[in-house]
Amino acid sequence: MDENNLIKMELTVNGEAVSMIVKGGRRLLDFLRDDLHLTGTKEGCGEGECGSCTVHLDGQSVLACLTPMERAIGCSVLTIEGVGSPTNLHPVQAALLDEGGVQCGMCTPGMVMSALDLLERNPDPTIEEIIEGISGNLCRCTGYKKIIYGIQQAAQELQAASPAGTVKESVE
Amino acid sequence: MKLRGIGVGSMMYGLGYGFARPDFSTTDIELAPDGTVTIWNGASELGQGLQTLLCQLVAEELGIPYEDTFIITADTGRTPDAGPVSASRSTYVQGNSALKACRDLKKPMAELAGELLKTDPDQLIFKKGLVQDQNEPSRSISFTNLAGGMHQRGRRVRGSGYHSITTGDVDKETSQGDAYATYAWASQLAEVEVDTETGQVTVLRLASATDAGKAINPKMVEGQIEGGAVQGLGFALMEDMKIEQGEFKNAKLSTYLIPTAADVPMVEPLIVEVYDPTGPYGAKGVAEPATIPTAPTIFNAIANALGQRVRFTPATPEKMLKLLGKLEEKEEQITIEDMPYPEP
Amino acid sequence: MTILNETLQEEELKIQTPSISRKDEYESVGKSVLRKDSVPKVTGKAIYTGDLHMPGMLFGKVLLSTQAHALIKSIDVSAAAAVPGVKAVLTSRDIPGENAFGIAIPDQQVLAETKVRYIGEPVAIVAAEDIFAAEQAISQIQVEYEPLPAVFSPFDALKPGAPAVHAKGNILYHTKVRKGNIERGFDEAAIIVENIYRTSGQDHAPIEPEAGFAWIDAEGVLNVFSGTQYAFRDRRQIAIALNLPMNRVRVANMTMGGGFGRKDDVTAEILVALLAWKTGRPVRLVYSRHEAMMSQTHRHPTYTRVRTGANKEGKLTAMEGVIYGDTGAYASLGLFVIKKMALHLGGPYYYPNYKSDSFSVYTNNPIFGAFRGFGVLQAAVSHEGQIDELAEKLGMDPIEFRLRNCLRPGLSFSTGQLMTNACGIATTLERLQDYLVENGLSIELHPEVSA
Repeated sequence: MDENNLIKMELTVNGEAVSMIVKGGRRLLDFLRDDLHLTGTKEGCGEGECGSCTVHLDGQSVLACLTPMERAIGCSVLTIEGVGSPTNLHPVQAALLDEGGVQCGMCTPGMVMSALDLLERNPDPTIEEIIEGISGNLCRCTGYKKIIYGIQQAAQELQAASPAGTVKESVE
Repeated sequence: MKLRGIGVGSMMYGLGYGFARPDFSTTDIELAPDGTVTIWNGASELGQGLQTLLCQLVAEELGIPYEDTFIITADTGRTPDAGPVSASRSTYVQGNSALKACRDLKKPMAELAGELLKTDPDQLIFKKGLVQDQNEPSRSISFTNLAGGMHQRGRRVRGSGYHSITTGDVDKETSQGDAYATYAWASQLAEVEVDTETGQVTVLRLASATDAGKAINPKMVEGQIEGGAVQGLGFALMEDMKIEQGEFKNAKLSTYLIPTAADVPMVEPLIVEVYDPTGPYGAKGVAEPATIPTAPTIFNAIANALGQRVRFTPATPEKMLKLLGKLEEKEEQITIEDMPYPEP
Repeated sequence: MTILNETLQEEELKIQTPSISRKDEYESVGKSVLRKDSVPKVTGKAIYTGDLHMPGMLFGKVLLSTQAHALIKSIDVSAAAAVPGVKAVLTSRDIPGENAFGIAIPDQQVLAETKVRYIGEPVAIVAAEDIFAAEQAISQIQVEYEPLPAVFSPFDALKPGAPAVHAKGNILYHTKVRKGNIERGFDEAAIIVENIYRTSGQDHAPIEPEAGFAWIDAEGVLNVFSGTQYAFRDRRQIAIALNLPMNRVRVANMTMGGGFGRKDDVTAEILVALLAWKTGRPVRLVYSRHEAMMSQTHRHPTYTRVRTGANKEGKLTAMEGVIYGDTGAYASLGLFVIKKMALHLGGPYYYPNYKSDSFSVYTNNPIFGAFRGFGVLQAAVSHEGQIDELAEKLGMDPIEFRLRNCLRPGLSFSTGQLMTNACGIATTLERLQDYLVENGLSIELHPEVSA
């Protein structure tokens, strides 16, 4: 846009239209955290290894630390802030709490986003498919078991609630 | 060829610091007029569940709903010093200080209840939202009403509990003496499959019998057991910290690999409860006990499969192939001559 | 809930209530209640240190040493200070108080002064208006090093004439455990196994890299927020380094993304406090994963030689061991980790005769400190290898052999301390026996071994 590398970020974030002029050339992660103050998306490694920064870009799971912010222009971004709220948890979130799949919580937002992506593509996953679905998300606390069972429980609840087998992301 | 084996491993862990190092905690607690309580403790919530654990202990000790507790932790501007969160001491030391804070608060509460109920304060028990004469159950008052009464009369509504397990020191020359306030215990069992062509070790099964004394929150204890075992598995098989000429060469998560969901079995937590009379409701810590036996348990399972023992970490495929004689060992090995036993 | 506005009425006290007694089931204890911290975490609302933001906030960045052992001849910060947006470039000369800290002994420098002792040691810090300016400034700092001979293993560090990592010598701590009569113990043994065990370093890898946030409030109190395992020790160490009264420093723990022992040490706290104190502005310092792995503590690599004897009846008679633990460039908790390892080298078994020595040794490797297991984890690799091998050689079931030798109430630990009734090792082993039955499993001795 000019020599200071200002760009116009026009996109939809968690269902709301966003239009901002900000410094370009950064990562989608920086735009979300530093410009929009949506700090639920975490940075654990900055090199695409830990999955803590997983968000959805036009319904696809992406790592915000490897995604240039410009790529999100004109797109719809879903972050953890757009998935359920403390008083209205998404079934995946509720099931993670119920199973005890949250300890330090640093991996949790990324796990939730990966789980939503998995269930969108595969509403009735096997345990092996759940493991594969979250194998890009590192957790150092739980040993993964309670997260895996939490996702399985959520899948069953979502299946029961939506017999057609379609899972819709709840966007606030 | 793929070979399977089963192995076991055990551990004991001296809980807390020992050696006369300060090992204490202070908890403060305040009763609001509506019967809810606020707890202040200087220990840190790392994700292990300390806040929840202390609230459960307080709820039990006061006989109130868990939902009526609120806790503030680890802030030098607000909380009393509770010592560090380490050495698997939180349940044991910080937990005990929370119970003592409750007992300190219950004293003035029992005094007022005794006056109102015209009964001996020492005979009152706090349970199920009531303060009740244990000999004459009809004499009771709800905790909530009593809380309001305390405030109305200007009684003391704040309690404090200090607990210390600071030990004496052991003898400097022989280390003989009482080293720790108590000990924690655990044993694990692993089943592995070793691919002798690739050197890959796969852990098929990992069961962890860990003594919690009393599991205050079973799901959190399971979480410690499952997560601890997976950290131990990483140490045993994957996490290869390469240090060359002082430089940590693979200091990135793309090159220093920790276990993913695809690398680990579903750990089976077997909670054992051997009541410890010195712990809060018999409880003690499990964080480290759940981590310690995993590597040798896996190594003993490998020995059971191969008839050859792993005496190093991590047993990566490359190092397993060296053990199996399929890759040449180029590193210079430390020998017994390098490590003489010191004089008596 | 009702709040009484008047004195309790007599009739209110006579409400019939069910009888309760101490023997009743617990109501909260033993229940898997919803964690207090979990709803904020699962909704992304929990605030970790790196999530903090304040108007006027500066971004901190650390320059780490590239040398394992070297004298610092000069540090030129002029180019770094000239980078637009840079508000402070600090070196050891800018520390108002003592340039020393350490969890057990203060042998560590806040910022390296005349010498660096490991690759990853903080040398200088920067605060700037944005992270890009801070990164640029870091790259502009010129450090002139004069490399010194270095040591990278405890064995090299203990050789006569080895380069001294610290002036007082390379042995940080020597622990001796002496119980019973070791020679008699081995005389009574029918079988003795002796081995060397090596354990590697391990990175804690909490998913949250270390971070700190500092600001000065209206009363002039220096506030430091971080993920820390001990806020009060951090407060003390910050105050000493900044030459402030301890009650003018506040340290608070934010929601914390795991620690596992590493955040027991001071991590970013003193550095971010210095930047805030010098600039008067709020400062946030978040380590990258690589910086965290390079500069923070790890699990101690260890070398253990141990021999263990048992008699024909399968009872342990003696254990002798020697341990060399690499504690790296600074002590951290290395004296206590390796001391605890010497005490626990025998594991949860009764030895009438026990002798162990452990040496915690300085090297020019990264710092090794507290990590979940704290030396006992390294000891377990040895004792469980020894015990399992003895059972095998005696042709005994590994669980039976452990049960035959495990500590029981009234038996003594390596320090002579008597076990109480809260001695649960046998119960955990019996639980595994039950588990084998429940799952239709058995431990068959390996054919090569039983042959």
